[in-house]
Formats: sequence, C-alpha cells, structure tokens
Amino acid sequence: MWRRKKTEKTNQSETNIFPLKVDALEKFFKEKFNYHDDLKFTKYTVNKKKVAVFYIDYLIEGNKLGQIIEPLVDLNPEIDLTNKNLLNELPYSSGTSTNTIEDIHKKLIIGFVFIYIEMEKAVLAYPFSMKETRSVEKAETESLVLGSKIAFSESILINMNVIRWQINSTDLVFEKFTVGTQAPREVRIVYMKSIANEDDVNTMRQRIQELDVDQIEGTIVLKQYLEDSQMNLFPQFDETELPDRLAYNVTRGKIGVLVDGSPTSFTAPATLFSFLESTEDLYMRWQAGSFLRILRFLAMIFSILVTPTYVAAATYQYAIIPSQLLISIGQSRAAVPFPPIFEALLLEFLIELLREAGARLPTKVGQTMGIVGGIVIGQAAVEAGLTSNILIIVVAMSALSSFTTPSYLFGTTIRLIRFPLIILAGLLGLAGIVFGLCWLIIHVLRLTSLGRPYLVPIYPLRLADFNKVFFRTPFSFVSKRAKSYRPKDLLRFNKKDAKQKRDIDE
Amino acid sequence: MDINVTVKSNLQIRAFYLFFIIAGVQIGVGIIGAPRFVFLEAERDSWLAILIGFLFICIVVGAMFMILQQYENADYYGIHIDLFGNWLGKLMGTILILFLAGSFLSILMTYIQVIQIFLYHGLPNWIITSLILILALYTVLGGIRVVVGVTFVFFIITISLLVVLYDPLLRLNMYNYLPMFQTPLPDLLKGAKATAYTFSGFEILMFIYPFIKDKQKAKLPVYLGLTFTTIIFILITMISIGYFSALGLKNIDWALLILVKSASFTFLERLDYIVVITWIMVIIPNLVLLMWAIAYGIKRLYNFQQRKTHYIFAGIILIVVNFFHFDYQITKLTDTIARISFWVVYIYPLLLLPIVLIKKKRKSQGGDNAS
Repeated sequence: MWRRKKTEKTNQSETNIFPLKVDALEKFFKEKFNYHDDLKFTKYTVNKKKVAVFYIDYLIEGNKLGQIIEPLVDLNPEIDLTNKNLLNELPYSSGTSTNTIEDIHKKLIIGFVFIYIEMEKAVLAYPFSMKETRSVEKAETESLVLGSKIAFSESILINMNVIRWQINSTDLVFEKFTVGTQAPREVRIVYMKSIANEDDVNTMRQRIQELDVDQIEGTIVLKQYLEDSQMNLFPQFDETELPDRLAYNVTRGKIGVLVDGSPTSFTAPATLFSFLESTEDLYMRWQAGSFLRILRFLAMIFSILVTPTYVAAATYQYAIIPSQLLISIGQSRAAVPFPPIFEALLLEFLIELLREAGARLPTKVGQTMGIVGGIVIGQAAVEAGLTSNILIIVVAMSALSSFTTPSYLFGTTIRLIRFPLIILAGLLGLAGIVFGLCWLIIHVLRLTSLGRPYLVPIYPLRLADFNKVFFRTPFSFVSKRAKSYRPKDLLRFNKKDAKQKRDIDE
Repeated sequence: MDINVTVKSNLQIRAFYLFFIIAGVQIGVGIIGAPRFVFLEAERDSWLAILIGFLFICIVVGAMFMILQQYENADYYGIHIDLFGNWLGKLMGTILILFLAGSFLSILMTYIQVIQIFLYHGLPNWIITSLILILALYTVLGGIRVVVGVTFVFFIITISLLVVLYDPLLRLNMYNYLPMFQTPLPDLLKGAKATAYTFSGFEILMFIYPFIKDKQKAKLPVYLGLTFTTIIFILITMISIGYFSALGLKNIDWALLILVKSASFTFLERLDYIVVITWIMVIIPNLVLLMWAIAYGIKRLYNFQQRKTHYIFAGIILIVVNFFHFDYQITKLTDTIARISFWVVYIYPLLLLPIVLIKKKRKSQGGDNAS
C-alpha cells in the first residue's frame, strides 16, 4: 500500500468572500455548510460595529468561550474595533486570522471559535477545542505483575505527555504526520535522535508519507498498512498499550508510532523474539527474567507442536510412543469412534470457542464461562466418548502455552498456525509436521520488518545480542544496545566502570 | 557475459557462514549409508581412509582457492568463459549445471527411498517430491540470503539430532577395532575414494564465492567446515564399526539410521522415525544450494530469469522422479553420480589450476612486452 506514490493533491480553489456583512455571512453558512445545524452563530454589537461569533458548541470548551466573549462585549469604547486591536485585547495568545472559506471549514470541525467583525478582510480564529477522552487507566490486554501499570489512552496529547515523562530527554523526537485524505488523523513517530538508526527512521517516514488511504481506523490498522508484507501470518511490528514498553523499545533504538484516537502504539523494527519479550523480564532478577523468557519461548514451540504430534503419533507413527504410555492412550481412545485428527480439531475448536466467548462476554460472565466450558464440557465430552482424556490434557496445555505470549496478536498467530499443522499431521503424520515446521522456518527467514531481517539475532547471527533476546545477564554485561537494530550509538555505559571490582576488605 | 560477478552489498554474506554452507552441503544423504561403503574397502581402518580423503579434499579446496584468487570476483562459469572462450566455456558451464542437476536428483531419490523404506511404504514418489520441492522453491525464491539462512538454521537444528548417538556410543565393542593398521594402502585409497560421494558438495564454493563479503577471511571457515564434516563422518563410521559386527555392517545399507534406533526415552521410542523425517532438514540445504547454483548459472550463461528456471526445473524433477521405481535404478543413479563427481569435484579443479596459472603468467608477460 505504502509503495504507491501519493497522488498530487489537486489544488483546491481557495474562495475568499470577505469582506461582507454579518447577516450575509450567516446566510452563507446556512446555505453552503453541510452541518449548519451544529453551528452556533451569535451576533453582538460592540462599539457600534456588528460582530459575529460562531463555533460548533460540542467541540469547544464552554468556559474558555466565556473568557473571550466577556472582554469582547465589555471592550473599551475608545478602542477602534479592528482585527488587529481585538487580537491585542483578548486574553489569549493563540488567536490567528484567516480569510478563506476552506480554512474556516477545516478549523470549525476541530473546535475553533471564530470572531468576525463586519466588513473586515479576515476572521479571527481561536483554538478552544475540547476532546472527550478517557483518562489514563490500568493496562488491560497486557497485564503485568511488576512495573508501571499505566496504559495509553485515546488522546495522543495524553500519550505524548506520558511518554515525555517516561523518557525525559531532549533527544526524544515526536515527528508529526497527517494520514488520511478524507478523514485525516494525526500520526506521530517517536524516536531518540541520537540512538535510532537513520535509515529506519527514513523508511518509516517515507512509508507514512507515501501512504495514500482515505482514512485509518487506528494504530493497528496503520500498522498493517505500513508492514513489509501483508501476505503472511506474522505481525511484523510490535504493538503495545504500555508506555513503559514503548519507552524501553525507543530507548534501545527502535521507532515508535502513535495515532490520535487509538490507545495502542507500535514499535519497529520487530523480530520474532521481540514478541516474546516482556518488560517484566527486566524488573525480575536476571535469573528469573531468563527463566521466564526461556519458558515463553518453549511454550511457543510446545503450543505449536503438541497437538499435531499427538495426532501424528496416534494416527500413523504410534511406534514412537513407549508401550506403557501407549496402553493408557489406547485405553482412553478405545471409546472414541473418530480418527485422531477429527477428535483433535473438535477439541481445538471447542477451546477456541471458549476463548472467543470469554473475550466477548463481560468479565464476570466470561470467567464463569471459562470454568463451565473447561471443566463441565471437557468432562462431559470424555464421558460421552467424543474425545480421549489425554487429548483434553494435550489441548488444554497447548492453549495455556499460547496465552503466555505477551503480545496478543502474536498469540493469535500461534493459535492459528496450529490448525494447518494438525491437518498436515492428520494427513501425513510426522512428515506433515516436519514439512509444516520447515515451511514456517523458511517463512520466518524470508520475512523482514522495516527492511531488517525478522529472525535476527539467529540469522544473521549476532551472538552478542543473545543476552538481550533469549536470556538475561546481570546489567554489568549489558553495556551495549542490541546490535541487531543497528543503533547509531551502541554503548549504554562504560563496561570497564561496571566491571570494576574492589579487593576484599577495602 | 562478464567473467566477474558484481554483487550488490545487501546480497553479500559474511564469510563465517561458509562454515555452515560447506558443512551443511557435505552432510547429506551420503552420510547415512557411508560407513558401509568405506568399511567394505578399508575395514577397521576406515578412519584412516576417511582422513586420507580429507587430506585430498584439503588439497582440492586449496586449488579452488588458488583458482579463485587469480580473479577479482569470479565463479566457475566466468572462469570457464575466460579460459575456453565463449562457446566452449558455455558448454563446460552447461555440463556443470547438468552435473549439479544430477546430484540434485540423486540426493532426492536416495532420500525418497529412505523415507519409503522406513516410514511410508506405499507413498508415491511424486507426493514426497512435491512436499520437498515446495519447501525448496519457497526458499530459493527468497534469494541467496534466504538460501544461506535456511542452510544455517537447519544445520543448527539437525546437528543437535546427533546427540542421540550417545546410546550406541555406550555400547561399543572395543574388540571390533582390533587389530588396527592392518589394511594395505591400496585398500585404504579405495576406501578414500568411497568417501567421494559423501564428501562432495564443497564444489559449491566455486559458485558462491563471489557472494562472500570478506573474502580474505573465507579460508578458515571453509577448512573448519571440511574438518567438521570429517569429524562427524569418522565418528559415525567408528561407532558403526564398534556397534555392528563386521559381517553385519557389510550388509547394512543405512548404518546411521539403525544406530539412532537404539536410543530410547521413557516418553519417546523409535527415534529413527524422528531422525529419518527430520533428515529432510539436512536434505533441504543440499537441494536449495544446488538449485540456486543451477538457476544462477543459467542466468549467467544464457541470461534467463532465475525465477523461471526454478519453476521449470521443479516441474522437470517432479516428472522425472516418477520413472524411478526400483532400488537398483536409484543405486545405479547414485553410483553414476558418485563416479562423475569424483572426476568433476576432485580431479577437475586440479586440472584447471595449471591452465589458470599458465594463462595468468602469459597475460602478465604479454603485459610486460607491451610496456
């Protein structure tokens, strides 16, 4: 999408109708504006001149309005009422004058208040916009045990405020863009000027500038427009609703993107493994942090593999199951009339239903739903002879492991991958699984994120980055930023100072 | 056609991947059955035969490096054109491509045979072939970066499979190795020659060399790769000799797969199933490197799109595999390729080296005369 060159904007003819009478202006709005019902058009007479004040009342802050109406009405009678004098008199510095209808049009719908003095050549405009937003709340989709719980809100101003306080550095840049031809939205890219890779910033900038769409529905949609390839399963940028996760990524040299009206952000470039990272790993001690990271990594592999392996082993290669285990599997499968592939798909389908129902229902009902579904239906399915006991354990474990990924999008991808693998396993046995796995590995090798390889630091191999990706080491070993993202400035602190050791009894 | 290859910097690969490329391409289907072939000739002193083979390869690779260093950034195709002129050079290049295609087919057929005997008895050739070709095509269409990536990642994954050999290693019969140093030299040389098929594959160096970023560092990873393969080869052969009786080993076609059968865990048995099926990850790097070299060669020689070559080649292979029904056909194919590969891979570079050197000398002399 972003590859398409932006079509040159047709130069809209700018209409200037000023100067004119106030009544004529009111008539003009009534006839020409699509939303004249919303328009509040008030007329005053100040110092013998007619003045019109117009705005859309639900878009502006009422008390601020009073603060300019009052001085306007009580204006010193000696002052000649002109635009210039009025700009001086009113207690707001943000007033500007404008004289084209198109400009007025645009500004009205983002909450400007206009003052027009009869027969003047321009209109004064004051930005009193009021945006209703949710205040910052606790993170919901990415819940944390440790660390700051604050989450992004829908207002980009609040979000920028939060990030600024997280990274209080003069290096931090919020670059502003507008995306969308019909309903434009403000988009900001966030990066550290002295750390982020110049090429990456340029690529991101270029992609956003060249994006030619009528409108975007939010960050996640923008993310999909900007990604390297839309024809694949894996998310290529890392989305988050946690300011501290964004701050962590940005200070390591990645680029963040915020969209107005969207309570999530995303960072780029991402790697396969960045989806398994959580800021929580950093708050734990390094041993626990490493353990959790490795656990998540294994959970991902386990979640993809365990059900297909069951299907393959139960259908074709039962010789790989030791005889002790084979007896119990055989016993539990004895009552089941279906082939393993059907049995597994049925149960996976059930688990997905439970998950989806739990996500749609209100929280309290959702929890009950999970318990009822998990225990009652599972138990009943076994007793009815629809599935085997062992498969219930297998499917539950695989579902559980798929929920350990910190990124919800990535977790969904993993759950999605399982289905083709189960079918392959049912058709070809172990060969199907290995085929699917090989395909996945090649697929991931081919992927890029913002032009950078997706599987870094495994390929291209960067051993020095392993302790930032797969496990954690004490901070004295992490004096450098991850080389994989090619930051401008690799060094975080001096390694020598950190490693200095005092002698005993000193 | 240019003799030297110009490679964009984003397509270049670091020299250290040559280790994985060389080791990955050498360890393939050959090694599954290699212990028997070497043992038939060199008996208990097979390891000596393999070492002799290794030394010979080192000489060959040394010759390859000397040839390559006479040029700025050339590969086999360019060198042929330079030495033999346009027509003959293209003919030589085409013969090389046919040899590579033959190796491709023999690797594929051997693996299909293994799968059919160990796992899926009735599965038609074309199903297994299409599965493998899907993976290979998907890789090669991603370009050299993905080809090397697949070689690297699959090598790391599969090499860990050999851990399973711990079990036969614990059950060795030491008397099987005695008496040592009894094999006469001609038999040892014959044994060394028997390693030719297994060890071949390193000729890929002559094709991939222009893509190496830091060429001055290229030698070490290549020799390390060769050493690694040799160690693995000796290890497997020696375990086979210690584990099987002499008479038994002479009749076992795929010693490695029987060896991995002996390990078992409380949750997993019959690891040979898993090894056989995961061996696809060993085959894929072989196949994609060959496929890449073939398509790139055709592009170099005849200026034909790589993408089209891949599709056409895959189509031809998919048809050809259906003509192999019986064991002896595959054995004949492999034997033929093994015999040809001895000449193409091992002897040819040694013959080429003097020609290159003489030509270079003449050129420099001619240059002197002119000045």
